[in-house]
Amino acid sequence: MTSAMHWLLAEVWIPFVNPIPVRPGVRLLMLLPLALCVAVVYRAIRARTLRGLPWYALLTFLNIVGGMALLAIGFYVLHEFVLHFWT
Amino acid sequence: MASDVDQTVRTVQAGILSWVLPGAGHFLLGQRALAWVLFLAVSLPYWTGVAIGGVMNSVNPRVNKWLFAAEMLAGGYTSTCFVASSTLQRQTASMPIEERFRRYIAIYPGSDVAQIYLATAGLLNLLVILDAMSRSQYGAPTFHRPPESSAGAAAT
Repeated sequence: MTSAMHWLLAEVWIPFVNPIPVRPGVRLLMLLPLALCVAVVYRAIRARTLRGLPWYALLTFLNIVGGMALLAIGFYVLHEFVLHFWT
Repeated sequence: MASDVDQTVRTVQAGILSWVLPGAGHFLLGQRALAWVLFLAVSLPYWTGVAIGGVMNSVNPRVNKWLFAAEMLAGGYTSTCFVASSTLQRQTASMPIEERFRRYIAIYPGSDVAQIYLATAGLLNLLVILDAMSRSQYGAPTFHRPPESSAGAAAT
């Protein structure tokens, strides 16, 4: 490895090579862009034309996020129930 | 007969192109707006995952072979990243392990987020590949249904 390459790797922050730190609070928010991409692909592969795709993708996105929120609430209630009655 | 062969070749081409570059199969079929939508919807989570996790451990079959298998569904991206990951591992082999960890390897929660993004992007690209092949073969999306009138005619 040349000294210039060594210096570059050791000192300079390079996108995709050096990871971006993610704070724990941001972890939940990272669901939103991923859910949007899933919704867009899910709707796009069913569409004969792109007309109406943004609206249907938005509805699917809201369904995914709402479903995940309900699951989270359900598991939280179950967790509290187990802690309260079984321990 | 010749047109059947052409159709098969075109279907395989669409599938392979989508594997190499998400949306490229749709582009080949002339559905350019859809191609751009699918390209963005797969590329965004893929490259976000690589950016958060760093290429060294995120695209590495020795770290997580199942994750790598899912990533390989976006073959063009993953092959490129795998070459970059292998090169980086060779170039940093002489570094102290603490320094290597600090600079190149994501820790929780970034590593988790990166894995989820990369695996999801790969699996989404599987849907894109199948859709490109379906549109090439049937001229209709993956989950198409026959029109009501023709279905009724077939039933009677």
